[in-house]
Amino acid sequence: MYTLLSGLYKYMFQKDEYCILILGLDNAGKTTFLEQTKTKFSKNYKGMSLSKITTTVGLNIGTIDVGNARLMFWDLGGQEELQSLWDKYYAESHGVIYVIDSTDEERLSESKEAFEKMITSESLEGIPLLVLANKQDVENCLSVPDIKTAFSDCAPKIGKRDCLVQPCTALTGDGVNEGIEWMVKCVVRNLLRPPRQKDIT
Amino acid sequence: MRGFFSSLFSGLFGTREMRILILGLDGAGKTTILYRLQVGEVVTTIPTIGFNVETVSYKNLKFQVWDLGGQTSIRPYWRCYYSNTDAVIYVVDSSDRDRMGISKSELVAMLEEEELKKAILVVFANKQDMEQAMTPTEVANALGLPCLKDRKWQIFKTSATKGTGLDEVGGVPEEPAVDVCVTTPPPHAFSVHTP
Repeated sequence: MYTLLSGLYKYMFQKDEYCILILGLDNAGKTTFLEQTKTKFSKNYKGMSLSKITTTVGLNIGTIDVGNARLMFWDLGGQEELQSLWDKYYAESHGVIYVIDSTDEERLSESKEAFEKMITSESLEGIPLLVLANKQDVENCLSVPDIKTAFSDCAPKIGKRDCLVQPCTALTGDGVNEGIEWMVKCVVRNLLRPPRQKDIT
Repeated sequence: MRGFFSSLFSGLFGTREMRILILGLDGAGKTTILYRLQVGEVVTTIPTIGFNVETVSYKNLKFQVWDLGGQTSIRPYWRCYYSNTDAVIYVVDSSDRDRMGISKSELVAMLEEEELKKAILVVFANKQDMEQAMTPTEVANALGLPCLKDRKWQIFKTSATKGTGLDEVGGVPEEPAVDVCVTTPPPHAFSVHTP
């Protein structure tokens, strides 16, 4: 009986909170992706106009509810000097979204280096990883197979964790829903890092 | 009826004045930054005992900027100004490595205040023209900014006397402040984790 009641209480007043990191080089579209996600998943949210987004030098946060899960996003600045701050967030995150600018072939190797450094971190072992090939609306951009090929030697380091490469356009919102839904499914299923319980007030 | 229309009008076209506090230890350069933002010039300042307040306009937004004195004896009075604050500009003297710890504890104490729960944090790593200045990343680490998980924050390198950094920063208080009106703050409680 107690279990039933506590279960009911939990169902009604508590949500499982998952922290999701959004990483990637500067100008990849992380903040735009976050704003687009907030617009799509929360009611009555009037996002800031996407054209007004400037460089992030610090942290942006966002919270959305998907079913019984609450996702809290940490969107970190991607400039080289700010990348040293990324690992401070690893231990507490339940999922990582890595955003790649598909139009920027020149900096793809730089992005790969940052990516490699990130996935080799011990505190991210077994954490679901969503790679977004962003800016797919631009003509002549790199396709998902192109990016997979370029990142192919990272595959052994990714190991057994859940990983999906998703084409997306943060500006128009294409691929955003698919990515977030996949992420929710994975973080809920991932028993390695249980969620934080939060009361809904 | 008239009241209805005027409130509708001001809701659509009017500008709400944003309230911004400039805080930081003494000698960090708060007053110099305030007048840089307001008149665009370097003014000769003396240590502020009490406060300076100015209205700064940027595009169609108006900011009421409060610069509070930063000396140890008058820091306890900061809290009297916390209510209805939209954003806090926290100024740090990047070359003053010895007092980084004090600066951090003041910041942490400030962010624990209930009244500042919704305020956005902008850190100015000031005095970047000095040779021994710490980089913004070092300042961010020294202040424990990565431990803030529930609050939007940004850090900028500035030099108030040279005016560098402040040009790009000119728009800075604006963007987050605009965001604060349209975003509903996270519903869960705010907490600061000290490492």
